[in-house]
Amino acid sequence: MTLAALTAYAFSGGDAVASAGGGLAAAGTLALVAGLLLRFPVAVPWAVLLVGAGYVVAHVHHSVVDGWAAVVGGALLLAAELAFWSIGSDRRIHEERGLVLRQSLTMVVLVVTAALVSFVLVGAAAVSATSGLLLTAIGVAAAVGAVAVVLRLVR
Amino acid sequence: MTRRASSKLGAYAALSAFGLVAALVLGRPEIVALTAPFLLAVCAGLALGASPRFAAEIDADERAVEGDEIGVRITLTALAPIDRLDVFVRLPPGLRVARGQQARSLRLARGERRELELTVRAERWGAHSLGPVYLRTHDPLGLFATEGMLARTPEIRVYPREDTLRRILQPRETQVFSGSEVARHKGEGIEFADMRPWAPGDPLKRVNWRATARRGEVWVNESHPERNTDVILFVDSFAEARGQDASTLDLAVRATAALADAYIGRRDRVGLISFGGILRWLEPGMGTVQLYRIVDALLDTQIILSYYWTGIDLIPQRTLPPNALVIALSPLLDARSVDALLDLRARGHDLCVLDVSPVPFTTRPSSSVDAVAYDIWILRRDALRHRLQRAGVAVAEWREGIPLQAAVEEVRAFRRHARVARV
Repeated sequence: MTLAALTAYAFSGGDAVASAGGGLAAAGTLALVAGLLLRFPVAVPWAVLLVGAGYVVAHVHHSVVDGWAAVVGGALLLAAELAFWSIGSDRRIHEERGLVLRQSLTMVVLVVTAALVSFVLVGAAAVSATSGLLLTAIGVAAAVGAVAVVLRLVR
Repeated sequence: MTRRASSKLGAYAALSAFGLVAALVLGRPEIVALTAPFLLAVCAGLALGASPRFAAEIDADERAVEGDEIGVRITLTALAPIDRLDVFVRLPPGLRVARGQQARSLRLARGERRELELTVRAERWGAHSLGPVYLRTHDPLGLFATEGMLARTPEIRVYPREDTLRRILQPRETQVFSGSEVARHKGEGIEFADMRPWAPGDPLKRVNWRATARRGEVWVNESHPERNTDVILFVDSFAEARGQDASTLDLAVRATAALADAYIGRRDRVGLISFGGILRWLEPGMGTVQLYRIVDALLDTQIILSYYWTGIDLIPQRTLPPNALVIALSPLLDARSVDALLDLRARGHDLCVLDVSPVPFTTRPSSSVDAVAYDIWILRRDALRHRLQRAGVAVAEWREGIPLQAAVEEVRAFRRHARVARV
């Protein structure tokens, strides 16, 4: 449902570019549905990627920073978390009630915190849009760090 | 315990890396905002993910009888907080969950001790090794999982449920120790046998005063002594016919346990021969300890495919004492066991056969050729029984659902008739 809402948001631009972005997001939503039905966790990052790409195509081509990006980021994380939870859950395993509540609470805290961090980032980007050197340096460092994490996991 | 990253961690890390690179390439801060939540989740997961520290052990009732419920307890003690711990107890065939959860997820606080109760029902006799018990922990964000299993799991010995036998088969010959069986020969006992004229050395208490007064000379009573017997239970484990829930071997084992219990209760010496792919034997003995030995040996009885032509020559002499009653429990499916039974009879052993019928475990085919073959097989089984009976072996067919006592009575009737014929 989260991804469907994001798909609808991608379509909301009204022009041809927005329709293309909406199409990408719709494909991502379908990929997620298929992944959930087949219990195929690899489909989740691809679905998130397609929906995120759809949003970028549909809304991120203006000179002004889109403030909804933080909400979209949080929603994407929420969708991914719920999808992984759904795929990983097994009806044959009896879960204690407190465990489910705690897992739900952890997820809410994570998503809200992530959305807040994204808000801060979007705000910082809007304020210091012209001072690009520092932002670029941080971005490069973050990207390199993330790639390093991926390589470590692959090893 | 093995720690591994979940697919979620790889997915989030890949999304973060791809998003940051795309943001740099496209120069759009919105993409950073989209990526940041996943990067935050990865960082938080790496920071919070620690190796779990806990102790686990499983305990269960070691002995039970078929149909009983067995309590299984899994004790978990956390040395550090565990956000999610999955516990799965794998049950062997023959045990089924009666109450409780076979797979559970729970959370343990630091120092918390939790005892999980599981009740299983023993549905089949045998030595069942419980487990393995699989354990899996997750970190708070589910990015890492640590998996392992309990190295030591208990063994549950499920004894077969026994039929109650009111009367059992009486051997033709008795042994030298005192028991409950009236011997054929005369000696010191309480069962009246005959009278004879007094002879020097006869004790005064044996004088029959009525007969002495009537005949004018001293007559004494003779009696039969009460002796024990040797009984050898011969279980054919070459082949079996198996249905969904039971098999001929199951029935044979139950009957063997019931017979052993009945004979041991009479102070007879009972031995066991498991004649099959693996030849096992237990020398005759008496007492409760011997009964437990026999039942424990029965629990390890299983059908093992073998093409080796085993004969009774391999059985030690002491396992087959002379004058012992040999009770064979066999589905008469394998030629080797049939030959061994005929060989036993030819060597003069007092033999009787309980034919644990495989017929109820089969269905008559619908096609005409197969049905004819099936009928021929049934007729061949009848012919085989008659062949054994011609050799002087009492044979009774026993099927599931029919009391064992009925088959025993059939054998008793045959032996009574054969005894008269021999005279």
